Order: sequence, then structure tokens, then C-alpha cells
Amino acid sequence: MDWNKKTDQYFIRFAHESDITPMYELLADPEVVRYHPKNAMVVEAQAMDEARRMVMQFEAKEAAFWLIEEKVSGDVIGRIALKHFNWVQGTAELQLDIKPSARNRDNVAEILFPVLCLAFEELALHRIEWLLLKEDPVMPEMVADIGFHHDGQLPSFFEFEGQWIDYQIYSLLQNDQSWQSALLADKL
Amino acid sequence: MKFVPQVEFSGGQLRPLTEDDLPSIVEIFQKSAMAGQSVEAGQEQAKRLLSLSVQMAATQRGLMWAIEVDGAMQGMLSLYDWQPTTLKTLIKLDALPALSEDNQIAAIEAAIAFLQQKYHLRNFSCQWVESDGEAVKATFEKAGFTQQAVLRDARRTGQDSYIDVTLLSRILETE
Repeated sequence: MDWNKKTDQYFIRFAHESDITPMYELLADPEVVRYHPKNAMVVEAQAMDEARRMVMQFEAKEAAFWLIEEKVSGDVIGRIALKHFNWVQGTAELQLDIKPSARNRDNVAEILFPVLCLAFEELALHRIEWLLLKEDPVMPEMVADIGFHHDGQLPSFFEFEGQWIDYQIYSLLQNDQSWQSALLADKL
Repeated sequence: MKFVPQVEFSGGQLRPLTEDDLPSIVEIFQKSAMAGQSVEAGQEQAKRLLSLSVQMAATQRGLMWAIEVDGAMQGMLSLYDWQPTTLKTLIKLDALPALSEDNQIAAIEAAIAFLQQKYHLRNFSCQWVESDGEAVKATFEKAGFTQQAVLRDARRTGQDSYIDVTLLSRILETE
């Protein structure tokens, strides 16, 4: 099974040792992590630690992380992950860290499609969840347009900088019409 | 060492499970709630549940209380997915037919008050599926819970079958 994917514009691939600096540059950008929410990285050693955790979680079959490399420039413009694999229930959670310049519907759909193909078709998962903040001015509307369904909210999910965070929960099912149509069209 | 506390409520008490509760535990679990769970729960599984209830409480991962009314075990109130750092937990109520709705609500209220006072928990949620029956959902709503989400196909019931899970929660004000 090949975990590395490619699209017209991007390589969606696992990280290498040489990716520490680009990963740090990505996750040190406050705009990339603003609506997750989490603090931006401040030292490169954090990226090294993060890379180690990504490998450990993959080896434990708990998560898979890919860097998104722009083919033309070779720049790492994002990271996408399937986290919290629940192999019994057939679920996983999506997470996308992406530079604001690439955060538009066409790019996100292009990046998501091979990852969702892998999730639904190769890993046989049934439900993919995406937790978003309603304060995010872009993503909730975008993921709904792509075909995710708004299931409701997870209130007071955790505390961040003195505020209790409510997540909006979106889901896509393997048998959703939007996904089945995407499979036929070979794109989201 | 006693890991499961005793909590009084108007009409009864929440107390640790004991060997005397085994027949009632078996009766409670004569239903299939998730994939792989047999509907024919027996004494052996009930005994394991008893020791699990102590381990859960000792490691602060959860709690299992017997709901006792008039000296009889009439149900269980359990906590799962207890997360001390995010001050939240998942509540599960298993009531035998003898347990009145008033006592179910009183037991939930007493548990929440205790957990808030002792462990500062503030986020209580419960999962409801259609097979639980509308009465269970109504009981939680009367205990202050509100529906937050319907998680589509979030629980697997077979190789290719899934059911929706309705999430209800009650959030207490931060102290």
C-alpha cells in the first residue's frame, strides 16, 4: 500500500528528516494554526519533536500525517492528518494545517480527495470527522460545500488560553451521496 | 482502600457495586448496546465488571455506581472517558424497570453535584441511541442536558451496519 499520493499540483507525502525546517516554518505561522486552536511553534526543536510524534503515532496505527508539497516550487504549504483511528468503529478525524494563500476550495478539495480515497477505499473506514471552530471565517463553509455534513457541536471540548473551546463537528460517510459522486467524478 | 464513594440522594444512594449486585448487573446487561456485545451476559462477565469498576475508580478513568433505592439495587450510573485535565466525563445510566424517573433524575443530579464539588468536573455528556428509548433521553433532558449533536453512523453494530449517536451535554459554569 502506497501512503504517498500526488495530485495535479501537490505531492502529499510522509515527512523526511530534511523536512524539519519547512515543517517548523509552516507551524510557526500563527495564521496556519489560528483556528485549531494551538500556539504557533517558536523554536525549531518543536518541529523535530512533532516529527518524532508523527512517526510514533503512525507506527502505533493511531494516526497518519502527510506534508503537502507544491510540485512547482517544492515548498511545503501544509500538513494533513488522519488522527484517532478507531478501527472498530471505522472512524478517524481529519486535520489540515495549510498556509492561508492555499486555503481555497479548489486546493483543499484537491488535497482531500486522495486522502479520503485512502481512508474510505484502502483503509475501509466509514466515517471521517472534522472538528472546526465556528469563528473560522473560511473552513466551515468550505467543508460543507465540499460535502461534509454539520453534525452539531462538542461544547467545552478543552481549555485554551483561558477560554473553553466549542468545536463544530462535521462528518463525511463512505456512503454519503457527496462522496459517491466524488468517486464517480474522480474529484471532490 | 475505598475508591468508589457513597453519595446520598433524595430517595436513595449511589454506592460501590458489590457481589450481591451480580444478579441485577446481569439483568441490566441483557441487551446488546455495541458490536460484539453478547445479549447473554452472565455472572462471569458481571464479576469482571465488578473488579473493573474498582480499577476504573482507582486510576480515575471512570466510576461505576449502583443506584440503590429502599435497600434494593435498581440500576447503575457510570462514568466513562473521565478526563481530569479537561474537566469532563461521559455519563451512562442503566435503569432497571423498578427505578422511577424521579429517582433516575435525582441520582444524576447527585452524581453531578458530587463530581463538581470533589473533582471540579464541569462538562457532563451522555450518548443516546434510538434503541435506548425516548424515555432515557427525556430523563437526561429533565436533568438539564441538552442535545448538542447527532453523530451520524458513529457506532458500529455489525460488519456493515452503523447507528447514529445523539450527544447530549450539561455544562456547568466555571467556578
